[in-house]
Amino acid sequence: LSGLLDREALRQLPSAERVRWHDAAVFDLRQRRDEGVARVPDFEALREQAAAIKAHTLDHLGTYLERFEERAQAAGAVVHWAQDAAAHNRIVLALLQERDACRVVKSKSMLTEECGLNPHLEANGIEIVDTDLGERIVQLGHEPPSHIMVPAIHRTREEIGELFHREMGTPEGETDPKRLTGHARADLRGRFLAADAGITGANFLLAESGSLVVVTNEGNADLGMTLPPLHIASVGIEKLIPGLDDLPVFARLLARSATGQAISAYTSIVTGPRPGGELHVVLVDNGRTRLLADPTHRSALHCIRCGACLNTCPVYRRAGGYSYSGPVPGPIGSVLAPAMIGDPAARELPHASSLCGSCTAVCPVKIDLHGQLLAWRRELRSPSRTWQVGVRAAGFVLRHPRAYRLAARAARLLWPLLGREGRANPASPWLQSRELPEHPGPSFRARQRARADERT
Amino acid sequence: VSDRERILSRVRSASAGSTAHPGAYVAPPGDARVETFADALRAAGGESYGPHPVASLPGELARLLTAWSQGRRVAVATRVADVLGGGAFDVVPVDADSASLANVEVAVVRGSLGVAENGAVAVEGPAAPRALLFLCQRLVLLLDSTALVPDMHAAVAAMPPDALAHHHYTWISGPSKTADIEQSLVLGAHGPTAMAVVLSLA
Repeated sequence: LSGLLDREALRQLPSAERVRWHDAAVFDLRQRRDEGVARVPDFEALREQAAAIKAHTLDHLGTYLERFEERAQAAGAVVHWAQDAAAHNRIVLALLQERDACRVVKSKSMLTEECGLNPHLEANGIEIVDTDLGERIVQLGHEPPSHIMVPAIHRTREEIGELFHREMGTPEGETDPKRLTGHARADLRGRFLAADAGITGANFLLAESGSLVVVTNEGNADLGMTLPPLHIASVGIEKLIPGLDDLPVFARLLARSATGQAISAYTSIVTGPRPGGELHVVLVDNGRTRLLADPTHRSALHCIRCGACLNTCPVYRRAGGYSYSGPVPGPIGSVLAPAMIGDPAARELPHASSLCGSCTAVCPVKIDLHGQLLAWRRELRSPSRTWQVGVRAAGFVLRHPRAYRLAARAARLLWPLLGREGRANPASPWLQSRELPEHPGPSFRARQRARADERT
Repeated sequence: VSDRERILSRVRSASAGSTAHPGAYVAPPGDARVETFADALRAAGGESYGPHPVASLPGELARLLTAWSQGRRVAVATRVADVLGGGAFDVVPVDADSASLANVEVAVVRGSLGVAENGAVAVEGPAAPRALLFLCQRLVLLLDSTALVPDMHAAVAAMPPDALAHHHYTWISGPSKTADIEQSLVLGAHGPTAMAVVLSLA
């Protein structure tokens, strides 16, 4: 399938043992989701309602964006618009520089990941600290998140203990999650209190009241938007919902789909700046209007970033988050990436799927994920020259019996070599976590011929 | 042309404005019993006490505060101070400076609604300085047992009309938590390490 996927998967999950460990860790979330969902008799009706609300909002997005802007400004917030990542980063940097803000705490936001905000701010001398524990772990390790809800799911407690020892001076050999979390808590508490600005995302924007809705389990977003004088919220334009009455539908779906919890620890509705503070909301396009204009793929904008499709995906579970080229991995990432990022590697992603449909079955906002992957395959055609040549050659061989017999004979001869890892073998990356099955021996035709010979 | 105009014009040319809103969601009837709420809160890592008659509330609260504070600072939001009567605690006004709350061990705040399906308690903007909810080591929310509703739909329907006129409105379900290290649940990520709801009988 995808050479990229295999290469990156091997880097992240280098052994069969590690693949099994990752698979089990991720599938555990899927099972918790199932248990949480089973307790809600109207879960299917909620999914229908959520999908219908999102479809309605996206179809009236201009009206809702303007309404949000008007109401948010009326409540004292300042609304900015950014058509791409560069514009977003420019706006955020200017807001910080105008106020001499050089210490920034940030809570989890896939959008700032997508825009590459951290490196941009760091290059301009601003210290930006990710405060979600998982994001802090990958930030200290200088790596990107590998999962949208659980950013450090690919790291073992031993690795995290070692990282904390190196970066924060915690006791050597500490591997207890509770004590490790305690060390990070103590370190970050001081940073929250000293910060000049807090950057958050938003899970939902309420057009009717101009409010942000921010959901976390850790409370880090709440500290980040409460303590520093400046709060910047970076939000994609697809996060709009009409109003407060629509929120319960999503509040009941989000945590259950993500971790099986009935609701996350904190669901905060924020309207306008806190007394004496400033609130700036940056509304970001960065490719979203391209998806909006595409009737086949528009529903990918329904996504509420719960991660359920990652947790259930047999490819994600065994390949890990770094195998995907965009900021969002898993089935939803493979659907978003071809439209959102220009990277040619993203064109391969829709091919790296078994199309089993498990993602579609769990999606709380009813995105037809596997149907979209299939549609991308049709639209993007062949991901690479090698693939194109390969498919054409296969077509020829299958159409011509003589060529087929010749190819089968060649395959039989080369079989032992194909199964051996080596630089000359193009199948090498596959073989590190897979075994070539035994060759069944002589072909059907040869066996029939032998039987006929026996009889005569 | 500004980014605003560019985005809005792209959005308008991409959307037809023809898909109707599905209308209000009708949830199946749920129960708002104290036991259902308490079970959901415990599942979220929180503790549930009561319901206690109003007369015995100060005594019950004092016992919990003594156990939880271990002699360290207890801060009580203005709105609940009268319930507690006197005691070894500070009363903090809603406009208290955040930095002055960094050393609070236990905070006591009035919750306005409890949601039985998920154990969440709504805290309105004027109930407390916002930083108190997240800086304290342990959080106690005081809730009237008649203020329980079955689900989030009922919770939103019961919000006062001016709820969003304040900077924040927050649903809190249990203590702050994380499972970012090998899916091991740890209570006390950045906010309170423990959280209790004390229910009162009207």
